[in-house]
Amino acid sequence: MEALLTAPVSDYSPRMVALNTPERTDEADWIARAQRSDARAFESLYRMHIDKVYGLCLRMTGNVAEAEDCAQEAFIQAWNKLDRFRGDSAFATWLHRIAVNSVLGRMRKSKRETERIQVAAEMPSSPASVADSGELRDLADAVDRLPQGARHVFVLHAVYGYSHEEAGKMLGIAAGTSKAQLHRARRLLAQQLEEQGFEA
Amino acid sequence: MNEIERDDQLIAAAGGLSTEISPERDLWPEIAEVIAKPARSRWMPMLAQAAAVVLLIGASSGVTYLAVKEEPQLVPVVVQDLRFERAAFGAEHTLGSVYRSAQGDYQSQLDRQLERLSPEVRAEIERNLTLIRDSIAEINAALKENPDNALLQDLLVNSYREQHALMRRVGSLTQRVMARKDI
Repeated sequence: MEALLTAPVSDYSPRMVALNTPERTDEADWIARAQRSDARAFESLYRMHIDKVYGLCLRMTGNVAEAEDCAQEAFIQAWNKLDRFRGDSAFATWLHRIAVNSVLGRMRKSKRETERIQVAAEMPSSPASVADSGELRDLADAVDRLPQGARHVFVLHAVYGYSHEEAGKMLGIAAGTSKAQLHRARRLLAQQLEEQGFEA
Repeated sequence: MNEIERDDQLIAAAGGLSTEISPERDLWPEIAEVIAKPARSRWMPMLAQAAAVVLLIGASSGVTYLAVKEEPQLVPVVVQDLRFERAAFGAEHTLGSVYRSAQGDYQSQLDRQLERLSPEVRAEIERNLTLIRDSIAEINAALKENPDNALLQDLLVNSYREQHALMRRVGSLTQRVMARKDI
């Protein structure tokens, strides 16, 4: 258990930022044009990244309406902050950070979190699990039922491959707190899956 | 399967979850609508807030300054013994209503008191009053010809003062203020 909690960052390389060369060429051009207020270029960036951003929002919120709002807000924020993007990180990573902030901001404002957990518990299959096949749906459903803090860390670290340092930075928590939340998430998931007879 | 093996499998399984999920509807039109609106300068709210802060500080400082520096209102000092000072009377100046009212009171009181006096004393008083009234009449006549003459004005004021002083002495009347409306 301890070995898992302190696993090297390289064990979980980010899965979201890998882009092939032609896409990167297009992406760099679209970014440059969008920075000059070219909305069509920005739409191309949207088409390129919406599934990744929406996927993250849906995994973190577990709610279609919330995820749609968060994704839209993330792209609007990205448009407004585009002049500050210097390419120090991949555009997808930059977008992810904005999306996570959008989710956290909405979660802080929203009182629907408790309702969301109750609804998720009653639903046979959460919206996020629809994207998964077979037995992974049980895991996705279980992730949706996690408490907010544990769920956010688990999604960023275990699903999207961010290190505890990166996840902690995105979530505004210490890396140690991220590890503790991951441990909690694993324990809760194991309990849920055992009750359902799940075998990884 | 021990706990570590179970967690390993859990993490491995989580790595298999989809990271890209297509939304059920196109979210772009709403985004496009928002970004098409002219962006508000992010400096404007800050400038507006700064202006408001400066205004607030200025206003509160001004109020504080006035509250601290404002001197208490002067209490009017009531002069018990009214003294006539040298004054310049213009051609249009006449006796005030207060003076005329006091003059009437003095006269009625004087008439009552004179009845109690001996005929000799009464005659002496009436002679003096007549002299004063004649003097006042002459001065007023001269002032009609030369209304801005300061000497005549001074004489007139003294004549009024003597007239009333005499009437007061005779009647032991309460001191009244002789006034001309322009003094």
